[in-house]
Amino acid sequence: MNLFQYVRPAEQKTAIAAVAAEPTARFLGGGTNLLDLMKRHIMQPEKLVDVTRLPLKGITQQGNIIRIGALTRNTEIAEDKTILQNLPLLAMAINAGASAQIRNMATTGGNLLQRTRCPYFYDTAMPCNKREPGTGCGALEGFNRMHAIFGFSDKCIAVNPSDMNVALRALDATVVVNGPKGERKIPIADFHRLPGDTPEKDTNLDKNELITAVTIPISPFSKNAYYLKVRDRNSYAFALVSVAAALNMDGNTIKEARLAMGGVAHKPWRLTDAETFLKSKTATEENFQQAAQIAFQGAKAFKHNQYKLKLGPNTIVQALSVASGLKSV
Amino acid sequence: MGDDIKMAGQPLSRVDGKLKVTGAAKYAAEYIIPNLAYGVLASGAIARGRIKSIDTAAAEKAPGVIAIITHLNAPKPPGYFGGKESSDPRTEGGEYRVFYNDVILYSGQPVALAIADTFERARYAASLVKVQYVKEPPQTDMLSNMDKAVVPKESDPDYNRGDKNAFDNAAFTFEQEYQTQLQVHNPMEPHAAIAVWEGADAITVYNKTQSSPIAQEDIAKAWKLQKENVHIVSKFVGGAFGGASRVWPEEMAATIGAKKIGRPLKVVFNRDQLFNMVGYRPQSLQKIKLGADKDGKLIGIHHEAYGNTSTYEQFTANMTSLTQALYACDNVSTLYRLVPLDVSTPCWTRAPGEAPGSFALESALDELSYTLKIDPLELRKRNYAAQNPDTKQPWSTKFLNECYERGAAQFGWEKRNPQPRSTTNGNWLIGYGMATGIYGAWRAPSSARAVLNSDGTLVVQSATADVGVGTATIMSQIAADATGIPVEKIKFELGDSRLPPAIGQFGSLTTTSVGSAVNDACVALRQKAIEYLKKSQSSLQNTPVENFAFGDGKIKTKDDAVSISYADLLQQQHLPSIEVTVDSKGSEEADKYSSYSYNATFVEVGVHALTNQLKVNRVVSAIDAGKIMNKKTARSQVYGSVTWGIGMALTEESVIDDRYGRWMVKDLADYHVPVNADIPAIEVLFIDKSDDILTPIGAKGLGEIGIVGVAAAIANAVYHATGKRVRDLPITPDKLV
Amino acid sequence: MNEQEPFCPNESRRSFLKKSTVITAVALTPAAAINAANNHWDEHIAAAIENVSLSVEINGTRHTMDIDPRTSLLDLLRENLHLTGTKKGCDYGQCGACTVHVNGERVLSCLTLAATTDGSKVTTIEGLANGDELHPMQAAFIKHDGFQCGYCTPGQIMSAVACIREGHASSRDQIREYMSGNICRCGAYPNIVDAIEEVQKGGQKV
Repeated sequence: MNLFQYVRPAEQKTAIAAVAAEPTARFLGGGTNLLDLMKRHIMQPEKLVDVTRLPLKGITQQGNIIRIGALTRNTEIAEDKTILQNLPLLAMAINAGASAQIRNMATTGGNLLQRTRCPYFYDTAMPCNKREPGTGCGALEGFNRMHAIFGFSDKCIAVNPSDMNVALRALDATVVVNGPKGERKIPIADFHRLPGDTPEKDTNLDKNELITAVTIPISPFSKNAYYLKVRDRNSYAFALVSVAAALNMDGNTIKEARLAMGGVAHKPWRLTDAETFLKSKTATEENFQQAAQIAFQGAKAFKHNQYKLKLGPNTIVQALSVASGLKSV
Repeated sequence: MGDDIKMAGQPLSRVDGKLKVTGAAKYAAEYIIPNLAYGVLASGAIARGRIKSIDTAAAEKAPGVIAIITHLNAPKPPGYFGGKESSDPRTEGGEYRVFYNDVILYSGQPVALAIADTFERARYAASLVKVQYVKEPPQTDMLSNMDKAVVPKESDPDYNRGDKNAFDNAAFTFEQEYQTQLQVHNPMEPHAAIAVWEGADAITVYNKTQSSPIAQEDIAKAWKLQKENVHIVSKFVGGAFGGASRVWPEEMAATIGAKKIGRPLKVVFNRDQLFNMVGYRPQSLQKIKLGADKDGKLIGIHHEAYGNTSTYEQFTANMTSLTQALYACDNVSTLYRLVPLDVSTPCWTRAPGEAPGSFALESALDELSYTLKIDPLELRKRNYAAQNPDTKQPWSTKFLNECYERGAAQFGWEKRNPQPRSTTNGNWLIGYGMATGIYGAWRAPSSARAVLNSDGTLVVQSATADVGVGTATIMSQIAADATGIPVEKIKFELGDSRLPPAIGQFGSLTTTSVGSAVNDACVALRQKAIEYLKKSQSSLQNTPVENFAFGDGKIKTKDDAVSISYADLLQQQHLPSIEVTVDSKGSEEADKYSSYSYNATFVEVGVHALTNQLKVNRVVSAIDAGKIMNKKTARSQVYGSVTWGIGMALTEESVIDDRYGRWMVKDLADYHVPVNADIPAIEVLFIDKSDDILTPIGAKGLGEIGIVGVAAAIANAVYHATGKRVRDLPITPDKLV
Repeated sequence: MNEQEPFCPNESRRSFLKKSTVITAVALTPAAAINAANNHWDEHIAAAIENVSLSVEINGTRHTMDIDPRTSLLDLLRENLHLTGTKKGCDYGQCGACTVHVNGERVLSCLTLAATTDGSKVTTIEGLANGDELHPMQAAFIKHDGFQCGYCTPGQIMSAVACIREGHASSRDQIREYMSGNICRCGAYPNIVDAIEEVQKGGQKV
């Protein structure tokens, strides 16, 4: 880990200015990802601006909107009554990620910025366009079992590792940020990026911008929601694939569906075509199968992740089955 | 033995438990040494080639840096750099020598040691070392290098008994290939060493080792020191599983670095360095051919196994040995080959040959059972070996049938529907599987010292280790039974090369070897005490030894005429202490027998019909390991073995990118050691019958038997659940798509 | 130090040392430092200047010191304070061996910069027992043999205590899930679950 300056401003404005003053400076939240990357010399900021004591914590409901402060820890969200009542999908997704200790530390803002777990990104001796633009993508023809099947480019096939982000995508969250140019709101769909020619950029957040909150509209999906994560062990592992499914049901009829996937793309992947298909359909396995096939049109696999083309649709079917009450876990 | 209730077998809580639950137990990296410097190893980026140049300027200028050591400036341990052959007699070839020259033998190889006054500064300095290489294309893919397979120099030759062509006469033949993965020990404690030179020709090393005598010998050889001038201290070992049974680069780097800076030095591996710098279980390709008659009687078995090794050293762990002894079959042939690759040398890993070997053999038996339509358990019983089918020797003891019977009854094996994919629970496909395990039981020469103090306390010492199995607890129990001194008054000391030499903690040898030595030392000690007693009381002059009894810290005559505490005896005799040291080894009688530990493992798995999520629902492990010394710690040991088996079967695998020869799975997020949520209820049944031929204490060895066959039992259960046979481990959800 | 109190010493010193002209430097810096910067010793000087002051209560004792900002809470405990009960297993937040309580919550000390615990209360395994009297969880781990090698044990116990306090120990399955952040390579999991279940059911204050 390189030597850096550690500062802990008391005000948001000062914190933003402190990051803006140094080209490599970073905000420090829970540190669960940043510290890990710094120890491996993948990220080497020369200044860390500790924002954890800024008053950006807590969960509030304003009318039809739930606002989660950016420094709210993952555990707090997963256990919050308002969340459990209105956005159970989010709690389920958060609890599917990491461990109890990490969820106690990880902040909402930090989780949004979680970087990929691609082993080539994590190994400074290996090529990786995300870590070191221009060096190539090691995974493209390498060990790519965990990698993307949607939205990748020939520069990068990494996936976003967050579970929380998948639920936020399904729930149409908005990311509220503040920076030297003032506050702006970024819809979650536009927050994370596809790799394209600039895989070094995970998100559309400017370097000097601080995430201050996430807002989520309360929607009629709370009763029929399920987050399903398939992984190599039963807990504390990143997803092979995961599915966030939320349905607004009228009896056995789906009025509206929300579907997003993790472990398949550089950003949490929304399955809008499948959602459209499911609208006004009855909750049957056949319809879920069809939705899954529609969702996977255009999916393309690499040498070691062919299984995702089958496991992905199956996981969608299972998630929808549980969410709709058609089947048990 | 004492007249009172025997301590051996009692589920005594660990004597060092309090130290471990309060954080007071000290592991290698935790000794407080004045003026200690910190060393961090910089790992190389390529798998094969040479170092063209190393730029250490930036690292040397970094704050707090004391030295940057590379092959260009390292002090030269004379026996290490000069030696042509490995200092380890258990491997063939030349061991990897850190900072020896510019040759790169494997990816991640240490290229520099950054030494600074704090850990943070050393870690940063290590990152500043810039190395230029002359690259050569590496060969790390075993399957595409099979043509390079060689006959290992230090292993059993090809084996053949009976008729190689017996398959021609078999009603059924079956042939299949199996593969096992690169499995990494990943003990929770990283390998660490603190080297403290005491002048030019004496050194103390605090390290993580399964054998302080081996570490002592290797470091003495490397530096050409008198053995007694090398002091190894390794009181607590945070897990090892075979991976701490030889000296590794961190120990040598610590001794080299400390020499260079004239200051004590600590070197601890990063977790990623632990993946291939301290050995691992090599991958394997195995071919099994079985021939059987219609009743399931095995007519022929052929087992061939290929494992990878490094280019510079041959590591052998014969995967076919168990096939020679497990089943009654007249015609058996095996062969074992090594494929040298541009990787680091593998190392012994819990049941080194038997765990992967049993996966192949016991999967094949299961496959044959479906062909023959014979229950898998019944098929094994029909081929039960009543004597060693290889040597024709009688077994010292063998209670495998009892394992089968009791295990099957406890598990409810009779409820198994023989049809695959026939049992469900909601969306989960349920499968039952079983397998047999076998592991050689041995006893190695070991020494122990017993010291009786005038306050009635007993100190027993032996230079063995405890990697977590509860050595001190078991040895205290054995000593208690032999002397009649209560366990609370006994202290067992281990993990120090200055103690009486003993076998290290590997090969399931500690209890049989050191336990026997402790027993023998304590028996000799009580004889000595009797002699003093006889000297003090003339009435006892002619009392034969067998008329004495020992209990409650006292020596008594069996008729209760005389009873005196050890403490009183020594005080009367004005003796501060009496002690004996005993060298102990197996009997010639035992050589006439064949000795093995056995198990039968029964497993129920659930596989999700849609998502292929895998769960082990329950395990019954029935074990014949001779007399069980402590039912609490023994059960825990089997829990550990089964957990390892589950990891091997379902979750664990490291992967090399063969383009670079680089390990791409090298941390605990990507390498999936089973977590709590993966481990179900495990029922352990001990047959618990003494083997009095192998050892005076009746034990046969328990450390490894519990893992043998577990991976096969799980794979067999997965087949039974899904109808899909997976022949390459681990069975992750993607392989069932 | 309270929640809001900032820590911003030498805010611009480092970048200044690295980038400023000598003229600006004269106004703000001792001559030795200027000399050092000119002689490319800036890293050394910066290292001294950039130490962070820390005041943290560990197991009831307040420690006040200057530390290298890179120091993790784990290394602070083990190397600076010789509280080696907290274990380094992976140093990357993937094993749980380093679990401690900060302000009552279980966290990973390897991914916690020590500097961020300024003003906090830290409890480690050394602070769990009441003198010679073991904490009920420590006693239960011994009774149920919830460990073998003992290296993951302090982290398991700190995690187990928190698991009950959080209300995540109401069933064996829940215990398994909420203890999955603590890897035990020896495979003591069933015993660990037994120990936690017993303490939870025993209703003792944890």
